[in-house]
Amino acid sequence: MKGVFKPIKTLNDRLFKQNRGRNAVAVLAILMTTLMFTTLFTLAQSMSRNIVEMTFRQTGYDAQASFKSITDEEVSLIAAHPDVEEVGESIVLGIAENKELTGHQTEIRWADESYASHSFAKPETGSMPEKENELAADTTVLDYLGIPHEIGRQVAIEWRPDLLSDEMITSTFTLCGFWEGNESSYASKIWVSRAFADKMTAGQDGPASEEQILGTHMAQVSLFHDSNIEETMDNILADADITDLEYGVNLAYSPEMNASAFAESVPMYLGMILVFVAGYLIIFNIFQISVTTDVQFYGKLKTLGMTGKQLRKLVYAQANRLCLIGIPAGLLLGWGLGVLLVPVLMGMMEGEASISANPVIFIGSAIFAWVTVLISCLRPAALAGRVSPVEALRVSDVPDRSRKKNRKRGNASLAQMAWGNLWRNQKRTVLVICSLSLGLVLLCSFYAKNAAFDMEKYLSELTIADFELSDISSEDYGGGYDPQGTTLTASLVKELESAKGIEGSGHLYSHQLSWQMDDKTAGNLAAFYDADRLKDWETYDPQGADGARISIQEKKATAVLFGADGIPLDAITQDHSILAGAFDAKAFASGEYCLAISPDVSAGKGTVLPVPSVGTTVEMDGRRYEVMAVARSSGSVTGGAMEGGRSEGITIEFVIPSDTFKEQYPENTLRKLFLNVRDSQVNSVQEMLDEYASSVDQSLPVTSRKTMTEQYEAETRSSAVMGSAVSVIIAMVGLLNFANSMITAIVSRKREFAVIQSVGMTKKQLCRMLAYEGSYYAGITLAASFLFGSLAVGIGVRAMTAADPFSTFHFTLLPLGICTPALIILAVLIPYLCFRNLDKHSIVERLRME
Amino acid sequence: MDAVLKAKGLKKYYGKGEALVKALDGVDLEIERGRFTAVIGTSGSGKSTLLNMLGGLDMPTEGSIRIGHTELSSLSSEEATVFRRKQIGFIFQNYNLVPVLSVWENIILPISLDGRRPDRKFIIEIVNLLGLGKKLDSLPNNLSGGQQQRVAIARALASKPSIILADEPTGNLDTRTSGDVIGLLKMTGREFHQTIVMITHNPEIARMADRVVQIEDGRIVTQ
Repeated sequence: MKGVFKPIKTLNDRLFKQNRGRNAVAVLAILMTTLMFTTLFTLAQSMSRNIVEMTFRQTGYDAQASFKSITDEEVSLIAAHPDVEEVGESIVLGIAENKELTGHQTEIRWADESYASHSFAKPETGSMPEKENELAADTTVLDYLGIPHEIGRQVAIEWRPDLLSDEMITSTFTLCGFWEGNESSYASKIWVSRAFADKMTAGQDGPASEEQILGTHMAQVSLFHDSNIEETMDNILADADITDLEYGVNLAYSPEMNASAFAESVPMYLGMILVFVAGYLIIFNIFQISVTTDVQFYGKLKTLGMTGKQLRKLVYAQANRLCLIGIPAGLLLGWGLGVLLVPVLMGMMEGEASISANPVIFIGSAIFAWVTVLISCLRPAALAGRVSPVEALRVSDVPDRSRKKNRKRGNASLAQMAWGNLWRNQKRTVLVICSLSLGLVLLCSFYAKNAAFDMEKYLSELTIADFELSDISSEDYGGGYDPQGTTLTASLVKELESAKGIEGSGHLYSHQLSWQMDDKTAGNLAAFYDADRLKDWETYDPQGADGARISIQEKKATAVLFGADGIPLDAITQDHSILAGAFDAKAFASGEYCLAISPDVSAGKGTVLPVPSVGTTVEMDGRRYEVMAVARSSGSVTGGAMEGGRSEGITIEFVIPSDTFKEQYPENTLRKLFLNVRDSQVNSVQEMLDEYASSVDQSLPVTSRKTMTEQYEAETRSSAVMGSAVSVIIAMVGLLNFANSMITAIVSRKREFAVIQSVGMTKKQLCRMLAYEGSYYAGITLAASFLFGSLAVGIGVRAMTAADPFSTFHFTLLPLGICTPALIILAVLIPYLCFRNLDKHSIVERLRME
Repeated sequence: MDAVLKAKGLKKYYGKGEALVKALDGVDLEIERGRFTAVIGTSGSGKSTLLNMLGGLDMPTEGSIRIGHTELSSLSSEEATVFRRKQIGFIFQNYNLVPVLSVWENIILPISLDGRRPDRKFIIEIVNLLGLGKKLDSLPNNLSGGQQQRVAIARALASKPSIILADEPTGNLDTRTSGDVIGLLKMTGREFHQTIVMITHNPEIARMADRVVQIEDGRIVTQ
């Protein structure tokens, strides 16, 4: 009798302590709901964050805008603008041309702290260079150069201050700082001191001529806001009275980027809706059951003067109390699960995946879970509030008012009694069946979706051979492809082609030239690149669109001539790859013909393609070829870097036989080698390549079908794990709901059981009746799951996979098949165990129980 | 004598057609202030229905009930609840104590639900009179039936209601305890000038009241 007695609070406290078992179930349900929300939130957040992060890494910086060429004066004007948070500066000296760095563009620059940190290139160990002989580099560069990661090491860099001459100078530095290299950025930077930079540029601001890069003064601008970057930048420049200064907006900030980051998260948001539904189904059921069980208690409170509003408050207070335990526990576990899953999801992405511990995740999940609980409590609370004191005073176990007036007279068989019992509370029965079926149907759908994936279809798009080796410069988009590259040496090729188990091979060469096109081809180009298409092109690549215009006007283009035989030639000359004309292998081998490659892979037959038409004779480097057919481009064959130097207009690709190519361009070395290997020998060839990589050339680029498969699996483990995790938890929630409903249905009927036992039903009969009830439950659930599962898989998943080019749909309900026996066993076991527990009390004891 | 409660033409019908049950079929009743009235009748006579109507727990099919200046049929169910906790004290056959609350908490529950501060001195007086002084912190389940019913009496008295309605208060008690409980009820009623209406099927118990009303088949037979 101390303190002020607050009835609702006190009742809440005491009731909470009283109903431990029921609370445990409710807490578990809330916990699982929160857990799913948190996991999904963590994943969604981390996904979009990682995608943005990855784009930053790819664009090389995280400031909003950059200037490729700027003067000291302009920098200070821009930096003084109130909208500008920070301006970072850098001066380019040149490109490191050490032999060890071939294929990995390494820029030699001076930069201030801001520029370095916004370029993800701030030394983590040591510091930025200050003295003239100091240098900072990333670990990737150090590894290429074979220099241990230690401050004070000597680093010799070879480079050309004058790009127009071949004269190479060697500058030697002392390593003063380094940082972890990033694989996904295409170029590395090494920082030198301002003193060294000034010495090299002789104090001149900007390069000496257009061909030179020494002295190029660059800047990155960080703004306070991410929105309307272009507008802000234009205003800044206008305010500073600067004209003719070009800037680039960081692609990572473009709306498209945000949209794609959002698109990646859409499945998570859909998942959240499902979680809400699953959470609602169970939490509602739990509260509905407890309110129904306690209806007399609420009625008693109402007779004593508790208003409907106060009763509702009491129900919500109980729910909130449960949330107080369930939600934090769920948040913690959910975040843990997210932490475990994010790296799996991010498997394909290079570098460490960052796991978001954003408070938004926790606040968001907590609110979502809480709202789910509150919505679930709406109806039970209303039920408690509406309770009529008189009804509640009557001792009655049957909450359902809508009942049949009469029952057919018949044998009261156990099966019939069980069937009748099942429908005593129709709503609950339907609810539990829905809850359980939802999980099972989802599980089936995810499984069918994943099972539909066709690895062969996928791989055929990405790689055309078991092994694909290429020249190191083939993918060097910075420096350009070197047609005389030395990666694929004759001895290596010979060794590999004669290895055991090789079933087929193929070679690819390439040569780039400036090509004067004929009128008809120019006409094709003009027809294909009409105003609309050019306009569209301009939005994402103005230079490309300009190139097309120039090509059409001046009839000049850059031609890339590929010499191919074996696997790559077969790949692009398959029937479905030929867009126009027909491929005749024998005639093609004569060297009189060539194939034109269409850049538009989606074009159907019959459309005008931006290449010479079939039958046209084209002349390249003094040799004439007749265009035999137009083929679709294929990444494995025609992808890769262009040669360095200037290119004119757009690029048109042709394929000729490699024998003809070698006659024409004997200087050019092999660009790619393709190998198909008998399945049993794939590992031994891989070992050969590993051996070669470790002993001779560690930079040999190899793409193998096996690593592609592994990479894919790492990549899709994401959606597989994700989908399965959520549907398994939803199925578990359904199961919990099922178990909880069955247990409470039995426990609340203990008196009724005592009554029928007292009039002569044996224990065995009662058990059998309960087992019937359970199996009816399971039977209906399974029937519903099979029905809706078939619909979901047969219609939904079929439609989804039809849109996915890498999928082949198979109808399957395997997870449901696996769950069937488990569910039936459970449906019989739960009633049995419950009854055994009840049976501890004698019939008389149970008859007396209230 | 002024009547604290006036019921006129009370009817309560359940069901329809052949299944129509006339639980109350035209009851007129006046209860005078400060008196102890017993309503007696056999099981199914309609006496419990009558008490539920008088307490605003159930609404009549027809007729009016006036307690003080309030017409019960004009109240919404929420208003009826609030009226009940302020103006009516209930004593039930099964005590209707909240098992999770202590004796003291049970006694002050209706007052607290109303958001009022209990009159501590007054309640202690009641408690002592009923011999519950040492049991205030006990939970109801640890008390005997007679003790539980005394807690219910204390609860009914605590809010100083206009009227106390008791539905078979001794129904679950043995003869000796029944006598004690009714004695206490009568004594405290007199002590605190309370009006009490008690339902019973036991003529012995009824005889202890100031006035006995007999009800049979939904009608008042003798007053």
